[in-house]
Amino acid sequence: MDNKLRRYEKIEFLGEGQFATVFKARDIETDNIVAVKKIKIGSRQEAQDGINRTALREIKLLQELHHENLIGLLDAFGHMSNVSLVFDFMDTDLEIIIKENTIILTTANIKSYLLQTLQGLEYLHLNWILHRDLKPNNLLVNSDGILKIGDFGLAKLYGSPSRLMTHQVVTRWYRAPELLFGAKQYGTCIDMWAVGCILGELLLRVPLFPGESDLDQLTKIFGVFGNPTEEIWPGLKTLVDYIEFKPFTPIPLKNIFTAAGDDLLDLLEALLVLNPNKRKTCTQCLQMPFFSNKPAPTLGTKLPLPKSIQKTREAERPSLKRKLLDGVDGGSLSKRLFF
Amino acid sequence: MMPGRLGLTPSISDNPLGLSWHDSTWIPILNTSNVMDYFSDRSNPFFDRTCNNEIVKMQRLNPDQLQNMTGLEYVLLHVQEPILYVIRKQHRHGPQPNQITALADYYIIAGIVYQAPDLASVLNSRLLSAVHHMQSSFEEASSFSRYHPSKGYFWDFKSQRNGNDKVKVKEEKPKEEASSLFQRKRVDMLLGELMKKFPLPIPPQPKPAPAVATPKQENENGNNENKDVKPEVKQEKIKPPPDKKPRLN
Repeated sequence: MDNKLRRYEKIEFLGEGQFATVFKARDIETDNIVAVKKIKIGSRQEAQDGINRTALREIKLLQELHHENLIGLLDAFGHMSNVSLVFDFMDTDLEIIIKENTIILTTANIKSYLLQTLQGLEYLHLNWILHRDLKPNNLLVNSDGILKIGDFGLAKLYGSPSRLMTHQVVTRWYRAPELLFGAKQYGTCIDMWAVGCILGELLLRVPLFPGESDLDQLTKIFGVFGNPTEEIWPGLKTLVDYIEFKPFTPIPLKNIFTAAGDDLLDLLEALLVLNPNKRKTCTQCLQMPFFSNKPAPTLGTKLPLPKSIQKTREAERPSLKRKLLDGVDGGSLSKRLFF
Repeated sequence: MMPGRLGLTPSISDNPLGLSWHDSTWIPILNTSNVMDYFSDRSNPFFDRTCNNEIVKMQRLNPDQLQNMTGLEYVLLHVQEPILYVIRKQHRHGPQPNQITALADYYIIAGIVYQAPDLASVLNSRLLSAVHHMQSSFEEASSFSRYHPSKGYFWDFKSQRNGNDKVKVKEEKPKEEASSLFQRKRVDMLLGELMKKFPLPIPPQPKPAPAVATPKQENENGNNENKDVKPEVKQEKIKPPPDKKPRLN
């Protein structure tokens, strides 16, 4: 254990959240830059339950997952009563990129980000894991333009038919309609809806459905797609929290995404389907014409980076790792687990 | 368009040179500041909505960002208020002004948008119609020629009178299709010049060809009444000056 402690040389403090403190560090064995997330022990009551639940999920799942587009858990070690996790160091995330208005997100850039997201997610889904908290803030990007899905604090194995899961997952703006209606049994389709919302946000540079409450969230969704009916979504009315909404007239997606090509609109329409069973899977989406049509996805190294990262890349100055920070203090929006 | 042309050029709907577009609700308020918005109307067939202008607009970025993008963009090239605007479609390779390739120009005259044709299309079209008319006149003429072993070749117009009557009825129609007075005068003048230079040999002369073609008007506007995409019917039917028309029956 002692050599592990010495193996990671602290470079700077990146941030502190509710559950953990994050440092940027150098691995002296490989000379790589890594992010070390030191889990807080918490109050005495919490400590009685043992190690923090989200940290446990991350350790449990990430140990077995290895994919270019998933955040890599490089190491985990304990010291005294502390547990520390060592992750790939990531420079920025999609939320920062979307908000940086000097960056232009061309179709080729969007295609590259989406392709990487779907490839990572496809691997997760094929291994029976739901991420359950996809949002731009959890899609980490490094200075080589590699996108990795991060924050597995809510991830879970799925597929057991009798097992009920909580519907209080996914940050509200990216939450699928069935979750908002209180579905307790769901599958990969909830992640696909979130990908659709992220794609919309990449195109518009503002959240697609910025709901202020769960009801407002559904209002915003139906305001675009129209009200769901039993015909298009059989079993809708059996959902626990189902309520009838005042009628909305649907707006065609091409009126919202005015500059999107037809292949891109097809993909959006495949992801943002009200009926969860009609939503396409990662594998189906990756085979859609959008990904084989021109323009080709931008190469990683050519992807735009926020100004702050560009400067540090030139001057080799340390950059901020905002993501892990948000991940540990629960993000800007509610992210709770009810058991 | 002449029937002969349809085989050679793509059909009217595929050829942007045969199209015009307007939205009559916009026309009264059109000015330099909103003409680009008018042009980027979704129903305008000349506007490619995946262009950089639309991406910048959709992502709510600063319009100056266009300089930093590569790819397809539209710029307002020339303004002659209040009647004429010229918009250029160009491919940008970089931020410098010399890193631009022009792809097409569009002119908005009195609110109606047209694509400016390239020289090759203009020449092609003119040549084609000239050749077409010559060809039909030859066909017509040869239909009056007869052969008899004792007389040899001769012209026979009388037996075709019925046919001629029909032709005359047909001839009425193209008259109503207005080629502009300007065009007719201009062409008559040119023909007159040619006639002076190359005087016709004196008879026997065939009757000039009747115009065979009735312009094909495809109305493909599926839009509401004020947004119209219509094929422009180019009137290229030209009649030789009447005084030179030989009357032979």
